[in-house]
Amino acid sequence: MNRVEGGGVTATARRTRGRVRAAAASFALLPFLLLPLPGRAGTTPSPAVGERLYRDGLLPSGKPLQGRREGGVGVEGAVAACATCHRRSGLGSWEGQIVIPPIIGRYLFRPGARNVEDVDLPHVQGYVPRRDPYTDATLARAIRQGKDQQGRTLNYLMPRYQLDDATMASLIAYLKGLTSAPVPGVTRDTLHFATIITPDADPVARKGMLEVLDQFFADKNAGYRGDSPPMQSTRGVMYRVNRKWQLHVWSLTGPPETWEAQLREHAAATPVFAVLSGLGGRTWAPVHRFCEQASIPCLLPNVDLPVAAEQDFYPVYYSKGVLLEAQLITRQLTGQRQKLGLRRVVQVYREGDVGAAAAGALQAALATSGLETVTLALKSGPAGSGLASALGDSGAGDAVVLWLRPDDLAALPTPPARLSVAYLSGLMGKLEEAPLPAAWRGAARMAYPLDLPEQRKVRMNFPLGWFKVRHINVVDERVQTDTYLACVILSETIGHMLDSFVRDYLVERVESLLSHRLVNGYYPRLGLAPGQRFASKGGYIVHFARPEGTQLVSDTGWVVP
Amino acid sequence: MKLKEQHSFTALALVLAGLLGPVPAALADDAPDPHAHCREMAAAAKLKRATRSTADYKLPGVSLVREDGAVVTLPRELDDGRPVVLNFIFTTCTTICPVLSQTFTQLQERLGSEVGKVHLVSISIDPEQDTPARLQEYARRFHAGPTWRFYTGTTEASVAVQRAFEAFRGDKMNHTPVTFLRAAHGHSWVRIDGFASSDELARELRDLVATR
Repeated sequence: MNRVEGGGVTATARRTRGRVRAAAASFALLPFLLLPLPGRAGTTPSPAVGERLYRDGLLPSGKPLQGRREGGVGVEGAVAACATCHRRSGLGSWEGQIVIPPIIGRYLFRPGARNVEDVDLPHVQGYVPRRDPYTDATLARAIRQGKDQQGRTLNYLMPRYQLDDATMASLIAYLKGLTSAPVPGVTRDTLHFATIITPDADPVARKGMLEVLDQFFADKNAGYRGDSPPMQSTRGVMYRVNRKWQLHVWSLTGPPETWEAQLREHAAATPVFAVLSGLGGRTWAPVHRFCEQASIPCLLPNVDLPVAAEQDFYPVYYSKGVLLEAQLITRQLTGQRQKLGLRRVVQVYREGDVGAAAAGALQAALATSGLETVTLALKSGPAGSGLASALGDSGAGDAVVLWLRPDDLAALPTPPARLSVAYLSGLMGKLEEAPLPAAWRGAARMAYPLDLPEQRKVRMNFPLGWFKVRHINVVDERVQTDTYLACVILSETIGHMLDSFVRDYLVERVESLLSHRLVNGYYPRLGLAPGQRFASKGGYIVHFARPEGTQLVSDTGWVVP
Repeated sequence: MKLKEQHSFTALALVLAGLLGPVPAALADDAPDPHAHCREMAAAAKLKRATRSTADYKLPGVSLVREDGAVVTLPRELDDGRPVVLNFIFTTCTTICPVLSQTFTQLQERLGSEVGKVHLVSISIDPEQDTPARLQEYARRFHAGPTWRFYTGTTEASVAVQRAFEAFRGDKMNHTPVTFLRAAHGHSWVRIDGFASSDELARELRDLVATR
């Protein structure tokens, strides 16, 4: 791998054990960058000022940070922020053959160690064993002039920043504290994780999910070899610190307004490193908010209505769920509109279910289309109640969209005469198992934001085989498979972290590693990146092949709306 | 028509030559350049942070979706007679792509009024994330003019194009910086691995157009 590191000097690439080392070119600096600005004597360095600069690329004045690369290529604002490349954790990253080194104080201000005597050094991809420590002065010179601690020119990708002395001091103060606090939920021999279950979660799915989690944790701990000391070798040897995994189940009670307080109490009583999987019902928003505010990674919960806020850092989801279905249906409606002679869209959802948000998203998406959209909320009640009157006046030129659960689908009245088309939510209706009456199957199209049964069949042998060998009852295949997959993804990611157990770094590593996976259960592929929080991005529109049975026919290829 | 195109390319070569200093008169001529090979060597030596090679790539006949939503086929899109400068990017990339894209921004500026005679092409290697709308936003971020176009499509199509250019690294997080230039349909591609500056790309483009 090519590395961007403090010591990068040469203009030619060296190859070391298949890894190409840094190509760092020396160059003439613009003279004005060399002139230090007069410092404001007596100003105390402010880590908060440093953080704004580091994360958002904003100067104390609120103006955007500006940097410059050789040849006058400028960077500004968020793109110029340190976190863009060195990441929020400060532990660096890599892209292709380029390795971005860690820049936390704990790393920079210590000498590199070969056969690690200094156990406090973070061992990450960009770790350079042989190097001198930086001082405040040489670090400031690196940032302003692009020279490392020994005066060698840094890699081309590292911009030069003209910071005044006070701002520089604040940035260095921030770097000294960055990723240095003890990490909650990490002890010498155990990593603590929580899973969160909302009170309205399906009890059958809950049981199935917990069985998978318990089994995975038991398997993990079966390989525990007893207490082991922290990292004691360089990254040349992939020594993995051996820790037990402990699961804490945080079952919420009462109304959603009280969940955040409950979660804070749980986290205070039992600190955890991350939240894994989990099970939601009508809303996941309070859990999402808690994770973001408490800076706890919340990885891949089983929720059909996630929170679409990709600027948030800690919550990571499989997909947008029913919101993705709304996008798929919107795309299909606008595409088929002329062919089907559509004039109106009639949506139906049951009050208090996730269909409300999906219907809202669809209505908003169609707002400028010229298609009239009517959204009808059915009162909570017995299965099928209110459906006949809601669908009563639909007919030719209408598309009906059903945001309904299986019990309501099974109780659908006779479809309206000359109905053009009906769409239903696959996630809410139980996919190919949806008990859609035969009379609806001709006109009905289903949003299917997963890979098709035939195409995922071989891939599914992995989780299903694992369940079989371990005698796990498959009571909710999708929830249990997604739970198993979340465990595998966490386990692989932790394996890549060596012993740098840092919450932000966990999310950063998931971002980088996820798209390397080839076998992903229900999903044809998963992928993230900085600013991406939904790993699967598309789906199909399908219809039933026959008036009975579960065979599906795809109307579209894999579509990314 | 052919003649007209040829003239406009000659004009482009002259403009580029003007931007980059004196060039032998022969370069602006339509005659083949007897010193092309020597100059290629010289150009290779001049690249500061990149290596240069030439190759013939066969363009796959895949469909791509342009940032304006138009569905196009790759060969037809690239074989429109203009010289092409092509790279692979993704919009949530933090390290390599911003540098490549900024180089294109600068190249646009260097080309000035002649920019319309060159086709700048950025193809997404994260096509499911990079919808046409996201590509448009990215284009705005880098002040892309009307002749710098962005392309997405299915994952399979993106991979096929990356493979055709021998730029597929298995995953977007493994990608390496590479830029391709070609004078016109039927000519070889110049491949530049690494970070070429906009000056270097402009010089390369000038040479390609001059020897066309």
